[in-house]
Amino acid sequence: MQFWALIVDSFRESRDRKIFWVMLGLSVLIAAAMSCISFEQGRVNFLFGAKVFETDYFTGVTGIKTDVIAALVVDGIMDTALGGMGVLLSIIATASFFPTFLERGAIDVVLSKPMPRWKLFLGRYFGGMVFIGVQATIFVALTFLVVGLRWGVWLPGYLLAIPLVVLLFSYLYCVSALVAVVTRSTVAAVLLTMLAWMAFTGVQTVDDLFTMYPEWQKQKLVYEGVHAARWMVPKTQDITYHAKKWSRAANASIFVHADNDDDREMVDRATKVEAARLAMNPIAIIGSSLLFEAVIVLLTMWKFARKDY
Amino acid sequence: MVALTEMTNWAVDLIDVRKIYAKNIRALRGVNIQVGRGEIFGLLGPNGAGKTTLVKIMMTVVRPTRAMGTIMGRPIGHRGKLAKTGYLPENHRFPGYLTGLQLLDYYAALAKVPRAARGASAPRLLDQLGLSKWGETRIDKYSKGMMQRLGIAQALMNDPELIVLDEPTDGLDPVGRRDVRQLLLELRRAGKTVFLNSHLLSELEMVCDRVAILVDGLVARQGTLSELTEHTVEYRITFSGDAQPIRGKLAALHATVDGDLVVLSGQESAKVNAVIDLLRGQGLLIESVQPHRFSLEDILVEAMGGTVPQQQTHDQHGAVKGNANQSLVRKRPD
Repeated sequence: MQFWALIVDSFRESRDRKIFWVMLGLSVLIAAAMSCISFEQGRVNFLFGAKVFETDYFTGVTGIKTDVIAALVVDGIMDTALGGMGVLLSIIATASFFPTFLERGAIDVVLSKPMPRWKLFLGRYFGGMVFIGVQATIFVALTFLVVGLRWGVWLPGYLLAIPLVVLLFSYLYCVSALVAVVTRSTVAAVLLTMLAWMAFTGVQTVDDLFTMYPEWQKQKLVYEGVHAARWMVPKTQDITYHAKKWSRAANASIFVHADNDDDREMVDRATKVEAARLAMNPIAIIGSSLLFEAVIVLLTMWKFARKDY
Repeated sequence: MVALTEMTNWAVDLIDVRKIYAKNIRALRGVNIQVGRGEIFGLLGPNGAGKTTLVKIMMTVVRPTRAMGTIMGRPIGHRGKLAKTGYLPENHRFPGYLTGLQLLDYYAALAKVPRAARGASAPRLLDQLGLSKWGETRIDKYSKGMMQRLGIAQALMNDPELIVLDEPTDGLDPVGRRDVRQLLLELRRAGKTVFLNSHLLSELEMVCDRVAILVDGLVARQGTLSELTEHTVEYRITFSGDAQPIRGKLAALHATVDGDLVVLSGQESAKVNAVIDLLRGQGLLIESVQPHRFSLEDILVEAMGGTVPQQQTHDQHGAVKGNANQSLVRKRPD
């Protein structure tokens, strides 16, 4: 009852934020824009046939099939709308959840209720995830239906994007919550979470570079340090990659034509990175990231429980 | 065993409560306060005395450096007992996106009030506090007074045995304050215990059974209003004429003469009459006889180590007579 009350209150607070409705509007807009496009043999229709674009790509013999287009679009959605912009907007939108919760005069009433502080914290924490849960569900559901009904391509694996995006968000939200509990500042929560995200991405990127350029691994200490760090921090890029894989989204690299040795070398190196990612156990990826989150959440709970308000 | 029984009979029994903040700031330096069940207890003191810190320790918002005692029979800090405690902090901030009914439901749910009880209590309390038409309105549309009433309603949703109110009449108009006073008296009649923290001393005088005065982290005075003001009862007799010849006789009756004012401490009417007889015997004209007892404000100022202005009297021409700012820290007569 108490936990549910906190979740419901967080949802009400989310609905009160303008950004909630902006993101909802964007979801509807993107889905509507996608629904205005359809594919037929030899052509692409825009705005329900108002504009037609003739193309040989859809000959069905030599060209690209609709399901590949759909998969490419899902790939783009995963990268930008969900993995990038969606998570970024959600971090900004939820960064004030804990600071407002901890405001003088507000926290006093809540702490005077017969509820352990750790339970209060977790209720508020999961309440914050309701925000992106709702947004991700609506966006993925709408685009899933558009791709299926308008384009005739059903990608049930795409629905996995919902829990995976919430998971990705949670890796960053835990940092936001920790900063918010320590500083009670929304701005600090946003800035430091962005920095943390950049750091997590940076570690993964550097490790990928070591894979792309094996000769760099001669810097053994640096390489092993970065590789170890990759396992300690949340693997935000890897989660997005596996989400795309499970959604059966296509990789845009199918459009890459290696015309010369340099291009071929780049393709080879990129293939190595992809192979290294595929070799990583998804359970290990998610598990180690969740371990990081658990440590941060426990630290934040401890801080919250010990603090005088 | 006797002490333990005594402890559990108190609604609030605070023993040696201390709080030291960072940089060695001693907010509370060993506070001892006892609040009887079913009484209205007032806590007053100057700014920075530690009143809010003490209240927050009672409500587990702040952890004490040291504290012994009980609240409603359970150790201080016991969260379970909070289910039967209602609290309204000073300068409270409620989520503006909630309606009045939603807010009451939310906080009552956190207080483990069952859904059915919440549904019944919320409209009743809103009605009781004059907010029945505003239950479906977002509280960011409420005035300050309405917000205060809502806060009191929130504190009562779980039918608490102990209600802790920090400045409950803040922002209320005189009618609102009267309504709150009546509500507090009703709560007392219902057997509830009310712990009030207020700067409005006149309000406390009207409703409190007992008070404690906190000064610099320590309880300077504690007791009923009668007990606190007992030593301050005196009679002030103004007269016209020269009382010098009978000064010695007046002193024998423990009366002091200051110009045309005789001050007699204590409440024995026999002594008052004796003084009057002396003055009349000297041919002096009695102008007024006024009993005087310190107000709560006077007690507070005295507890803070300040001086209380003497009640000013005026001569026939309207000029002020007697000394202002005379200290009234008096010894009880032997």
